[in-house]
Parts: sequence; structure tokens; C-alpha cells
Amino acid sequence: MSNDAAQGKRIPYIRLRNIKKSFGHVIALDGVDLDVYPGEVMALVGDNGAGKSTLIKIISGVLNPDEGELSLNGKTFKHMTPSRAIELGISTVYQDLALVDCLDVASNIFLGREPLKACFFVDKKRMNRESEELLRRLKVSIPSVITPVEFLSGGQRQGVAVARSIKLQGRMIIFDEPTAAMGVSESARVLELIRSLGDEGFAVLVISHNLHHVFTIADCICVIRSGRLVKDFRTENTNPDQVVGFITGSNRYTEEYTEESITT
Amino acid sequence: MNRTKIKLLLGNIFPQLLLILVMLIMVIFLSVASPFFLTWDNFRNVFDHSSLYIILALGMTFVISSGGVDLSVGAVAALSGVCMAVAMQNGLGVGTSILIGLAAGGLVGAANGSIISLFKINPFIVTLGFMSLARGLALIITGGIPIYGFPRAFTWWGSGHIGPLNPPMLLAAFMAALAALVLNMSRFGYYTLALGGNEEALRRSGVSIHLYKIMVYLLCGVTAALGGLIVTARLNTAEPLAGWMLEMDSIAAVVLGGTSMKGGRGSIAGTLIACLLLGILRNGLVILSIPAYYQQLLIGMIILSAVIFAEVRSRKGLASTHKKERSTAV
Amino acid sequence: MKEKMKRMLAFMLLFSLVAFAAGCGSPASPPASGEKTGTGAAEEVKEDDDEVEKTAAGPAMNSKAQEIEQVLMDQLAPLPEFNTGEKIGVLIITLANPFWVAMKEGYEKAGAELGIEVAVMAAPTEGDTKSQLETLDAMVARDYAAIVASPIEPFNLVPGVVRANKKGIKVINLGPPISKEALKEAGGWLDGRITVDYEEQGAMAAEYIVEKLGPAGGKVAIIQGIPGAGQSEGRTAGAKKVFEAAENVEIVSIQPGNWDRNTAYNIASNILQAHPDIRAIFCCNDVMALAAADALEAAGKREGVIIFGVDFISEAHEAIKEGKLDGSIAYSIRVYSKAALILALKTVQGHAIPDEVFSPLALVSKENVAEFEGWE
Ligand SMILES: Nc1ncnc2c1ncn2[C@@H]1O[C@H](COP(=O)(O)OP(=O)(O)OP(=O)(O)O)[C@@H](O)[C@H]1O
Ligand SMILES: [Mg+2]
Repeated sequence: MSNDAAQGKRIPYIRLRNIKKSFGHVIALDGVDLDVYPGEVMALVGDNGAGKSTLIKIISGVLNPDEGELSLNGKTFKHMTPSRAIELGISTVYQDLALVDCLDVASNIFLGREPLKACFFVDKKRMNRESEELLRRLKVSIPSVITPVEFLSGGQRQGVAVARSIKLQGRMIIFDEPTAAMGVSESARVLELIRSLGDEGFAVLVISHNLHHVFTIADCICVIRSGRLVKDFRTENTNPDQVVGFITGSNRYTEEYTEESITT
Repeated sequence: MNRTKIKLLLGNIFPQLLLILVMLIMVIFLSVASPFFLTWDNFRNVFDHSSLYIILALGMTFVISSGGVDLSVGAVAALSGVCMAVAMQNGLGVGTSILIGLAAGGLVGAANGSIISLFKINPFIVTLGFMSLARGLALIITGGIPIYGFPRAFTWWGSGHIGPLNPPMLLAAFMAALAALVLNMSRFGYYTLALGGNEEALRRSGVSIHLYKIMVYLLCGVTAALGGLIVTARLNTAEPLAGWMLEMDSIAAVVLGGTSMKGGRGSIAGTLIACLLLGILRNGLVILSIPAYYQQLLIGMIILSAVIFAEVRSRKGLASTHKKERSTAV
Repeated sequence: MKEKMKRMLAFMLLFSLVAFAAGCGSPASPPASGEKTGTGAAEEVKEDDDEVEKTAAGPAMNSKAQEIEQVLMDQLAPLPEFNTGEKIGVLIITLANPFWVAMKEGYEKAGAELGIEVAVMAAPTEGDTKSQLETLDAMVARDYAAIVASPIEPFNLVPGVVRANKKGIKVINLGPPISKEALKEAGGWLDGRITVDYEEQGAMAAEYIVEKLGPAGGKVAIIQGIPGAGQSEGRTAGAKKVFEAAENVEIVSIQPGNWDRNTAYNIASNILQAHPDIRAIFCCNDVMALAAADALEAAGKREGVIIFGVDFISEAHEAIKEGKLDGSIAYSIRVYSKAALILALKTVQGHAIPDEVFSPLALVSKENVAEFEGWE
């Protein structure tokens, strides 16, 4: 694949150091270090409740970490805010999609960045036109861009959420289980899209429980277990069984873990 | 594509069309039942009386669309009227005094919004607190005794003449047009609805939800203060007890007009029509000499029927239209 | 299927409510039919209705009331022509207060007696000044020859009265005053006024209390109505003057009870907490006085405290007989409402009337309550 050039530079788009986050007594993240590189698709895998969503919410500014820092563009932050993250080029498809049900498709795609005319009126026509184009390009099929999102199916909603993150025109795109509710052909399209984003030089972070998907699109795979980043692989150096071993924490691989983590 | 558009539009304005129908039936019935109803003087009465409710309900439409509620508007109307009166008593000009009153309303509104948003407290409780607080302030400032007698330039706002109409009616019409533009076509309107639909989604889009929430309540405070201006000017008296139960009247009108108590859906046209409908109802009952008890009963029944109707419809009617649409992709 | 059933049930309930309303509504809708209309309202009102029924069936007329009626009629002579069928509108304060419910009954009976058509309207609640004005406006749009109006406060009805003036409808002000200065400024006027001397009411009650306390005196308190309301301010001022003039009598507290039973109850118990040695409480109406009596009863301190109200509503009448209340200041609602209608008729028929007519007062206490049997 075409990530040789990116690997050559090895300058991460974003760098997380010692991120800790707990909710009351639940420790969701316990000191995570993570580098995400441009032009690379990184998959984040782990069991339910491992802390994946919490981690990406910290990157996108939805949650503030208790400890640790994020560096980006040579600047270091104690925490992000949603608007700062978006400004810095990070866009996110959330697990819960974060769509406003009562607004129509176009308004959701442009939420927070509505084009204006005469400095006051939202340019509805332009929003509809551009949304239609975008959805057509992404091959998301919905009844109409003026349909309120509440009347869409689960997969269609995910399609809209993906379109919104693309519309933000960031440099880093995060997908939290973007294909969970999608049919076979729709997921294939989204996976294709994710892969091509990686190839076009975006930094991409994907969360998925489907290891088959992960192995088709990811350049590297990070395993999170109980709030710790226990292992990261280049995709070509591993296989699904090994990854499953780290996800579940079965003994066969935990011994290897200490040596390998030093070598990588 | 076009068919969808028309269906969506019809679906959206259906409740309002129904309200207009009910209103027409009422007008016809009252015209037949009483010779005093269908006269210009009486219609002028209805418009005149409705103008106050309209202005307050407009602000309330924004608040309820954003998923909140403001119980303080009646008390805020009284407080701002009292502030205007005290300002004039102290020799300030009419314009300045009105601005002071509006500022007082805006201030209470902004305080409502700030506490609701920053401390994440239920709007019901916060605005209930401010209802009592504003009423208390109005009573303290006046010492419980109405302040009476203002310059003509001030009372003009309540009882002046502009052609066959008066300032409250025109103010209500102007505010309604403005509110419709803002709610349906501006960013502020979009975000108001989004606050009611999914506040967290709006926050994650990088929009400052605190700012917009505060603005929504501030707007409501200002419309309440405008209501205070009208009452005070019309009666030529600032009474600490003005605007009694006005919050309930405006909430009722807003909900009757098709704005969802759950937030995310709001209709200025609906609010306007509902205010007129309630105005005609109140007027008609008096014209027919029906005692006050029945007015309350009837208004209650109309509101209940309207919300039950809206709920039933949103559960099946509207949803099914859209399901059929799903098959036809873009 | 189940969903549907539930929905049907809800609708049936709603419709039965409508049917019920229509049922009680039908006899009430023609104005001045003399039927009772308060069947669906608060318990207080219901009680009062029963009372009115009882007294109507009871002794013809009480001598005390006759005496009072005569005094007033002398003031009103010469009397106008009756049975002329004039339409007279009456705007009272609220039907959620037994006093005004009784006034409504009074007006309707007097209307039947005088042979005129009377329609009584009211504001939805005692504080709703704006709705009361709107009700007046709608009444002005009708064809009344005269309107008898009792405002919630001095200014709220002014614009409506001006409109009535312009349309040539005579306006009589009963009870709480409509501000004459405000009216004049707005270009309007009153065609007549009938009222009760509120200060005199407060003073009469206070004099009784001072006399009962004797030379030892003691601590007294006043529970007002809504601050700023005419009756409340007048009664308070009258009572205060008498209390202050009396030796050894100390006013320890003047609190607004807003004419509200619950508020007055709370205030009375608070006063008792602060001043366990309180000797008398004067309340600006009976509803609050009854509440105060309840509060003291509940605290086990009713003994030895004089509680006085004003209005002599039927509930107070019972309470005085039972010794629960020490007394009240009465004026005959029947005479009062009849006098207002006579005044209205006189103005309509072009008679001159005095600027202000006062309804005579009577003090009721446990000593003379027996004389008030059958009082209306
Ligand atoms: N807002 C919150 N309040 C309290 N606890 C939370 C909150 N969000 C997450 N948690 C807890 O933090 C832990 C990590 O949750 P997280 O959503 O990050 O898991 P995940 O790896 O995304 O799981 P899944 O695969 O099911 O999406 C869980 O134990 C969860 O219960
Ligand atoms: Mg998750």
C-alpha cells in the first residue's frame, strides 16, 4: 500500500500522552499513549467497555481527561473542546451518531457551520444542494435531504453522520463503529471510503468490533483492554487470532506482550 | 423529490390548518349566536387583548422549542413594568425608562438561562425561583402599591392609535414576523431547535450551547418585558401583581400552536393562531355571558384535545408518511 | 388493539367531561336565570351555595336586615321605575371567593325582584387584573344599558370604563374603588359609586377588640389582604388607628395574607410562634380569620385569643355561632347588590344620584349573632 511515504516522515498528526479518565469509581482510561499518523488508518479494538469511545471523545474534545496531554501541530493541550478540535481539523463520527433528530438531513450535515446569506439567513438552498452532492458522492441513499433525520433507518443515519464528518473537511477523521447498523453493501462502501481517506493522506482512527473489516482496511491495530493500550501491531505482522488473544487477555499471548512492546 | 417536499410541508402545517378551521367554526358559531360578536369594535378588542399574549408566547415558543420552559414571564412582565414606572418617576425620559424595563427583563432572562445552562438545573425549578424572585422584587420596589400616572408618550404604547389599530397590535404583528424569520431562517433559530432536539449533538458540533441557551432565555425575558410595557402603558399603572398567571396562558398558547413540549419543534404561526383562538374563545364566552368557571373548563379541554391529537398524530400519522417515502431514494 | 382501546377510553372520558359540562352549563347559560351555576367549582363555593339555598327557604327576612335596608332606601329615594326590562351587566372580582359568589346570587335575585335582566361576569382569579379588563371590554361590546363594576384594583378597569362612557353605557362602581383621578385623566367618569366604608369596618372591629381586652390590653396583630388593595388598606388603617389610640394595646405584627386561606393560616401560626402571648388577631376578611382560628386551634392556643373578620360570609356566621370565630363586620349582601342595581336604574332613567352611597354596617359577635338568623 501507499503508506511508505507517510511512514518515512513519521510525524504524528496527534500525540496522546498518559491520558487518564475515570467516571466515579470506574477507571475508563488508565494512562494511554497513542500516536496517530497522517496517511494511515489506525484501528482501535477492544471489548465492550474497554474505553475506546472514551478515548476518542477525549481526542474530539467531548470529554476532558483527568490527567495527561494531547499535542497537535506542535502545540500541547491539557484538553480539547469540540470547537477547538474541529478547528484543528479533527472530525468524528460518534457511536451514538450525535444527530439532531428533529432537523433535516442537510441541516444535520451542516450543523454548526451553516452557510449564511445577507449575514443572517441560513442559505438553505446551498445546504440542500451541497448535501445532495455529497451524499451522492458517498453513495448514501436517503429519501431526501429535507427529511427529518428521525424518519431515517439506522444505516441511513450512520450514512448521514459519516457525510457530516467528511463535510467538516478535517485532516483527521475518527469513526466510532461507523458500520454497526449498516447492510453488507453499505458497509463495504464506507470501508472503501475509510481506506481511500487513508490513502489520500488523512489521519484515520477507526473503532470496530469486526476484525474482518479491521484487517481489510487498517494499517495498524491498537488493542485496548480495561483502559490500557496493551498492544499495537502493524497489520501485516499479525493475524486475527493473535489480536483476539490480546483483546480477551488470554494467557497464550500475554507473555509475548512484554517483549514485543519493547521492540515496537 | 417534489412530492416529498409537499408532503413534508403539509405534514408540518397540518396542526395549524386544523386550528384555523376550529377558529373559523368558532367565529361562525359566535356570529350566529350573538349579534355583538361580529362587529369591528369587538374584533378590535380581540386583537388588542391577544397582542399581549402573542408577544409573551413568541418568546415562550423559543424557550419551549429549545426543550425548556419559562415560568417567570408573568412576574418578569410585572417587574419590568414597575422598573419603567420607577424610572419615569425619577425623571428619566420615556425612551430611557422603557429601555431600562426591557433591560430588567433581559437580565432576568439571561440569569435564568445562565443558571439553567451552566449549572445544568431543570428549567422548571430555576424559572419557578425567578418567578417568585421577580414578583418579590416588584412588590418590594412598589411597596405593594401600584404606581400610577405616566406621560402620554408612554401610555401611547398601550392605548395610542395608529389608524384603526393600536401600538400593541402592531408590535405583536412585527414581533411575530421577526420571530418567524429568526426561528425558521437564522442560525439562532436552527440552534434553538437543535438544543431541544439533541443538545449534546449541538455541543459536539462545536457550538457554544451555553451562549445560545442564555440567548433563548434572554429573548424570552425581553418579550416578557415588552408584555410588561403593554400592560403598564395600557392601564397607565404599574402594578406589582400584573401578569398574574400569564406564564400559564403563554405556555398553553404555545403548546396549542403545535410547538412540542419535548423541544425540537416550534411553530411561530401556530403560536400566533393559538393566541387568536384563545382570544376569540375568551371574548366569545363573555359575549355569550357564560360564567368564568366554564371559560376555564373550556380552555382546559381545548388544550387537552390539542395535545392528545398532536401526540396521536406524531405516533402514527406522520411517521407512516415518511416510511413510505423511504423506498424512493435520492 | 390494546392501544386503540386505551385511546378510546381516554376520549370517552374527555367526552363525558364535555357532556357533564354541557349538562351543568345549560341552565346557567341564559343570563340572570337565577339558577345556581357554581356546581363544578371549589368546595368553598359549594358550601356557600347550600347555605344560600337554606336561608332562602328559611325565615322571610331578618329584622336587622330590614332595618338596614330601610336606612339605605331612604338614601336612594326617589326610587326609579321598575319592571322595565333593562339589561344590566355586572362585573365582579371572582367566583372563586364565597363573598363574590354570594354577591352574584344577590344581584340575580335583586334583578328578578326589580324586573330587569342581569348578567354577572367575573375574572378567572382574584389577581387577574388584565383578564378582568378584557371581560369588561367584551361586556361593553354588548347592549347593556348600565354596568356595575367592582375592580380588582383601582386602575385596571379604567380603559374599559372609558370605552363604556364613549358608548353611552352608565357605569356604577361597587365596592373597591375605581380611581377617579385616573379616569378623569383618561377622559372618563363614573356615573355613580356605592361602597362600604372600609376604614369604618376596621375601626368597628378594633373597637370591639379593645373593649374586650379591657384596661389590661395586650398584643394584637393584623392580617391584611393583598397589599395595595383598597379594602385591605382601608380596613388595616381603620383598625390600626383604633389600636394605636388604645392604652396598653400593642400591634406586634401586620402581615399580608393576600386574602388567601393558606397564607393566612401560615401567618397566624408564625405570629403565634413569635408572640405566644398574642391576645387578638384582626383579619381583613372572614376567610383569613377562619384560617387564623384553625391555625390557633391546631396549636392548641385558641383559648383567650380574639379573632375577628370582615364580610360575615355564611361560613363565618356558622363559626361565630359555634364560637370558633369571635365576630365579623356585616353588611347585607342582598341590600348592597340591590342598591347597586337601583342606582344603575336611576342613572339609566336620568335621575340624579349622590356622588357616593355607603352601605350601612353591622357588627356581629357571639353576643348578638342570634339576631342575624336569616341574614343575607
Ligand atoms: N459518561 C459516563 N459516565 C459513567 N461511566 C461511563 C461514561 N462513559 C463511559 N463510561 C464507562 O467507561 C467505561 C468505558 O466506556 P467506553 O464507552 O469508552 O467503552 P467502549 O470501549 O467504547 O465500549 P463499546 O465497545 O461497548 O462501545 C465503561 O465501563 C463505561 O461504563
Ligand atoms: Mg464505544
